[in-house]
Amino acid sequence: MAAHLSLGIDIGGTFTDLVLLDPRDGRAVLWKESTTPDDPARGALEGTRRVLERAGARAGDVARVVHATTLFTNALIERKGARTGLLTTAGFRDVLEIGRERKYELYDLFITMPKPLVPRPWRREARERLAPDGSVEVPLDLDGALREVEALVAQGVESLAIVFLHAYANPVHERQAAEAIARRFPDLSLSLSSEIAPEIREYPRASTTVANAYVRPLAERYLDRLEAALRAEGIMGGLFLMLSNGGLTHVAEAKRAPVQLLESGPAAGALAGAFFGRAAGLDRVLAFDMGGTTAKLALVDGGEPLVAYGFEAAREKRFLRGSGLPIQIATVELIEIGAGGGSIARRGELGTLQVGPESAGAQPGPACYGRGGTQPTVTDADLALGYLDAGFFLGGAMRIDRAAAERALGGLAGELGVDATRAAVGVHDVVDENMAGAARVAIAERGRVPREYALLATGGAGPVHAWHVARKLGVRRVVCPPGAGVGSTFGMLMAPARVDRVASFNAPLAEADFAVAETLFARLEEEARRVLAETGADLDRARPRRLADMRYIGQGSEITVAMPERLAEAPVREAFETEYRGLFARTPPGAAIQFVALRLSLSAPMPGAEARLRLAHPPGGQALKGKRPVFFPDTRGEIVTPVYDRYALPPGMAIDGPAVFEEDESTFVIGPGARARVLPDGTILAEMPDDA
Amino acid sequence: MTRRTFDPIELELLWRRLISLVDEAAAALVRTSFSTLVRESYDFSCIVTDATGQSLVQATESIPSFIGTLPATVKHFLRFFPPETLEPGDVLITNDLWLGTGHLPDITVAKPIFRGGRLVAFSASTAHAPDIGGKIRSPEPREVFEEGLQIPPLKLMRRSVADETLVAMIRQNVRTPEQTLGDLWAQVVALDLMEDRLLGLMAGHDLPDLVDLAAEIQGRCESAMRAAIAALPDGTYRSELQTDGLLDTPITIRMALTVKGDSIEVDYTGTDPQVDRAINCALCYTYAMTMYGVKVCTSPALPNNEGAWRPISIVAPPGCIVNPQFPASGGSRMLIGHYLPMLVFGCLGQVVPERVMAACGSPMWGMNQSGVRANGKPYANMFFYNGGMGANARGDGVTCLSWPSNVSSTSIELSEHIAPLRFHHKRLRPDSGGPGKHRGGLGQEILIESRSETPIAVSFLAERTIIPAFGIEGGKPGATGALRINGEAVDPKRQYVLRYGDTVSLATPGGGGHGDPRERDPAALAADLEAGYVTSDAAYR
Repeated sequence: MAAHLSLGIDIGGTFTDLVLLDPRDGRAVLWKESTTPDDPARGALEGTRRVLERAGARAGDVARVVHATTLFTNALIERKGARTGLLTTAGFRDVLEIGRERKYELYDLFITMPKPLVPRPWRREARERLAPDGSVEVPLDLDGALREVEALVAQGVESLAIVFLHAYANPVHERQAAEAIARRFPDLSLSLSSEIAPEIREYPRASTTVANAYVRPLAERYLDRLEAALRAEGIMGGLFLMLSNGGLTHVAEAKRAPVQLLESGPAAGALAGAFFGRAAGLDRVLAFDMGGTTAKLALVDGGEPLVAYGFEAAREKRFLRGSGLPIQIATVELIEIGAGGGSIARRGELGTLQVGPESAGAQPGPACYGRGGTQPTVTDADLALGYLDAGFFLGGAMRIDRAAAERALGGLAGELGVDATRAAVGVHDVVDENMAGAARVAIAERGRVPREYALLATGGAGPVHAWHVARKLGVRRVVCPPGAGVGSTFGMLMAPARVDRVASFNAPLAEADFAVAETLFARLEEEARRVLAETGADLDRARPRRLADMRYIGQGSEITVAMPERLAEAPVREAFETEYRGLFARTPPGAAIQFVALRLSLSAPMPGAEARLRLAHPPGGQALKGKRPVFFPDTRGEIVTPVYDRYALPPGMAIDGPAVFEEDESTFVIGPGARARVLPDGTILAEMPDDA
Repeated sequence: MTRRTFDPIELELLWRRLISLVDEAAAALVRTSFSTLVRESYDFSCIVTDATGQSLVQATESIPSFIGTLPATVKHFLRFFPPETLEPGDVLITNDLWLGTGHLPDITVAKPIFRGGRLVAFSASTAHAPDIGGKIRSPEPREVFEEGLQIPPLKLMRRSVADETLVAMIRQNVRTPEQTLGDLWAQVVALDLMEDRLLGLMAGHDLPDLVDLAAEIQGRCESAMRAAIAALPDGTYRSELQTDGLLDTPITIRMALTVKGDSIEVDYTGTDPQVDRAINCALCYTYAMTMYGVKVCTSPALPNNEGAWRPISIVAPPGCIVNPQFPASGGSRMLIGHYLPMLVFGCLGQVVPERVMAACGSPMWGMNQSGVRANGKPYANMFFYNGGMGANARGDGVTCLSWPSNVSSTSIELSEHIAPLRFHHKRLRPDSGGPGKHRGGLGQEILIESRSETPIAVSFLAERTIIPAFGIEGGKPGATGALRINGEAVDPKRQYVLRYGDTVSLATPGGGGHGDPRERDPAALAADLEAGYVTSDAAYR
C-alpha cells in the first residue's frame, strides 16, 4: 500500500506530542513522549516508533511528517545560540544595544533590559550609506568590510547578520557585502536584513536579523539530523516545518530563515482552534487554550487565526510587554496569560484573593497531586467544586486527593476570612476574570467585540473554565472539540503550506505608482510560489493575498489592509478606510494616506490536510456515567449534575446544562441553562441561555 | 442606607474589572490616536474616578506624570462645573498649565458618568497632542501666552453634541489640526468606552454608586502606603541639587522630607524662584514627580489610586520654580521636574540606601524641529533621546533608558523619512557611565545633519551639560552631556536655525555610579574594557 499517513511531531519543553493521522478515514492515534533536551530528535524518533506501533502502522506508510518545536525559542531564552557577529552601517553598531530606550516596568528601579544577542566587540561597522529612498549616498567600502569580518572570524564568530540603514528600500549594499564575504568565508552563515525582515525601523529589523543569525547554525544541524534520522527509520515522506504564521514550509526554507519557526508550537495550537472552529461551522472563534501554567488566546476570523507582523521573543519578564527582543516576522497573534491549572492562589498584600501568575507547575504541582504541594491552586479549586473527579483524572491514570485540595483551600479561606466553598469559588472566579480581562483588552486592541466570537476550548484546563469565561465575556457559544487536551498537534496536520513576503513601498497614496506596486506584488508572488512549489502543496488552489501596510501620513503605526482586485487610488482608499473604520470606528477628515510596505501571503492546501477527524469511539457505550454535585457560581449553589462519557456520545445528541463531559485529557463543563449538541466529529457545541 | 461590604473575592473581581476597563480604553486610544507620542511613546493616560474626582484605577501603561496629575485635574473640573451643572453626554476639556499637567500640549478630557440620574463617576484621559500652536516647544518662551493655545476648563461636548466654536478655535490655532483633533476624538472614544463598561459592571454587581467600593479600594491602598511609610524611621531628611538652569545661572532645588509616623511631608522651601523661561515646573507636575519618587522606593508594586497618595503631602512656596505662578511658562517643565524623584532618593537614601539609585542622565533629551516644506505646508517633529540610568545597590545602571518618564526614541530610518535630516551616528558614549562598584548606565551620541533647502528652526531639551548625574555610596558622577552645532557648544535653552549642511551633535549624559569604584568586580571591569564601555581603568584604581 502506498504511503498515506500524516505524522505530526510537536516538541515542547516537557513533552513531545505525536499524532498519526490517516486522512482517508480521519482516524488518529495520539502519543506523548518525554522530550530529550540533549538531543530532541532522539525523543521524537522514540515517540515515532511508539505511535506507529500503537497504530499498527509501518514507517513506510508515512507520507509526510509535520514538525513544530520550541528548540529555537529556547536557544534564544537560554542564550545557547551560535557565536554571532553583526555588520552595520558605520556609526550604528550600538543601535542593537540602545534599543527603544523605554521601560517595560515603570516602578522598578532595578529593572534589567534584555542583553543584545551580539556583544559589542562582535558588532562591526562598514562604510556605506543609503538615502531613505534607497539611493546610494556613500558606496560600500568592501575591503574595509572584509577586514572587519576577518577579525570576527578569527575570534570564532560562526554566524553573521548584516544590517545596513535603509536596506529595506534597496538591498544592494547588503548583497554586495554578502557575496564578497561568502566568497572569502564560505563556512560563515549569513543573514541579511533585506531578506529576513525588509521593513523600516532599524532596531526591530536588526533584532530580527540577529536572532535569525543566532539560531541558524543550530537549525541547520538539527534539521539535517532529524531529516536523516527519519530516513534511517524508513520514513521516506517529506519533512515539513510549522511556521509562526500558521503555515508550513520545507526544510530548505526553514534553514534559510529559522527565525520564522520561533512560535511554531503556539501557532499550531491556534491552528487547531481554527480547524475545529471551521469544522463546527463557526466564522469567528476565540481560541482559548489553558494548560498547567499559562493560558493562550488567539482570535480566528474567517476561519483563520489573526496574524500579526511582529512579536517579542525571550522576554525578561514573561508576561510583560516590551521586555523581550522584537522579532518582525508574521506570527499567529497570541495573548499569553499567567493562568493555568497550577496557578497558585493566595492572599495578596492588599488582602484580596490573588491567583497566579506563579504556578506550582508539575512539581510539586497542585496540593491534590499529593507530591508535596501545599498551596491551593486552580486545579484544587476545580476538584473541590466538583468540576473534576478525583477518580477519573487523566482518565483514571492518576490518583488525585480531594481531601488534600480541601485542606489547602481551607487554609486560604482562613486567611481571607471566608468559608471554604467561597474560597474555592473565588479561586475559580478570579482566574477566569484574569483571562476574561486579558481577552477584553486584546479584542479591544483589534477593534472587535467579544459577542461576535465563539469560545473554543482546548488544553487540560480550558474546557473546565471555558463556560464561565464565556459568560464573563458575553460570548454566546462555547465549543469543545474532541481530544481537546492535546488538540494543538492536530493543527499542524491540517495546516496549509504558507509563505509570507514583504517589500518596502513608501509612497503617498495620491502619488503612488501602481505599476510599480503591481511589479512588486508579482515579484513577491513569484518568490512565494517558488518556495511553495517545493512543499508539494496543491499550487492550483494556491490563494495569493495581497496586503499593504498603510497609514495616515503623520501616524506612527500602520494597519495592514487587504488590497482590492484592481490597484488604483479610489478602490485602495476605500479598502483602507473600511479597514480603518472597522478598527477605530471613524476616519479622520481630510488626512492623506500613505503606503509603507506591500505584503504577499500565499497559502495552498497540503495533500492529506483536509481530512475530518474521527476520534469518537464506536457508539454503543453508556453515555451517562453518573451524577455528582457540582458548584455553579451563577446559581450560587451546588447542583446534582449528570456526568457523560465523552467517547460514548452519539453525534446529534442534544443535552441541556448543567452537564459534565469527561474524556481522558480534559473535562468539559457547561452551566445551567446551556443547550448543547454533539456535532458529527464529536465536537460539543454549547449555547448560552437567552438571559445570559 | 447600609454600607455595602465586599469580601476579598468580590473586591478582587471588581478591582480587576475596573483595571481591565481602563486598559481596554487605553488600548482603544493607542489604536485610534494619530500622534507618535501616544502610539509609540505611550504619552497618555486613562482613569476612572469616583463622583468626587478621587481616582479608583489607572491604565497600566500610563506614564508616571499623568498618574499624578490626572485625578487632580478631574477635581479642578468639579470646582468649575459642580455636579448640578453636569449632564449625561457632557465632556469637559482643559490644557491649563496649572490645572492640567504643567504644559499646554497635554490635553485632558473628562466625562461625568450617571447612573439612575445620579453622578457616580468620571472617566478621564490625558494625552500629549502633536501640536498646540505657539512657539515650538523649547525653553525660550517667557510667558505661557507664547506657548500656544490655552484651553480653560470648558465643555467640549454638551449632551453628546460637540461645541463647534471651540473645535474651530482649536483647529485654527494648531499646526497639525487633523492630528490634534484626531487625537482629541480618540480620547473621547476612550471616555465613552470606560463609561459603557463601568455602567455594565455596576449593573451586573448591583452597585447603585461607587462610594463603598471606592472607600474599600482607596482605603486598602492608603493602609498599605501608610504601613510602608511607618516602616521608615521618623525624621526630617534633606537634600538639594543644582540643575544647569539658564546659562551661567544654576538653579537650586531644596527638599526637606519629613517622615512622621505613617505620613510623609515634602517641603520645597528654599528652592530658587521661578524664571522667565519655560522650565518652570507647575505644582501639579511637581506633585506627580515627587509622588513617583516616593512610590518607587516605598511601595513600587502598589496599584495606583487616590489612597496611595493620601499619606503624602507637599509644600512648595508660591513663586518658586516648583510652584510657579501665572503667567509663567512651563513647556519644558521636565527640565526641572525630572530631577525631583532624585531629590526624594537623596532624602530617603539616608535611611533606605538599598532602595534608591544614583542620579540618572535625565531629564530626557530631545530635538524639536519645525519648518515649511517645499510644498508650503508647515511641519513640526520632536525626537527624543535618553541618557543612562543611575547604578544601584544590586547592579549597573541601564544604558540609554527613559527615566522617570517613559518615552521611547524615534527610529533613525523613520526620522529620515519624515524630516529632511541625515544621521551620521547614534552610538554609545564610552566612559560616560559614572564609575563605581556598580557603574552608571552609558549615554549616547547622535550626530544629525540638515539636508533641507529651507531653514529648519530647532530647539532642544538638554540638561546636565554642566552639572553631571551624581554617584552615591562612593560612586562617581556620570559624564555631562553636550550639545553642539557645527562642532561648537551652544546654549541648549535657545532656539537655532539650521541651514543645509549644518550639523547638530547631541551627547546625552551618563548615570551616576554606586559604591567605591575600587570595589568593582575585576571581571566586570575587564568585560567593560573589552566592550569599550570603559576605555581606561584609571578611575577604578
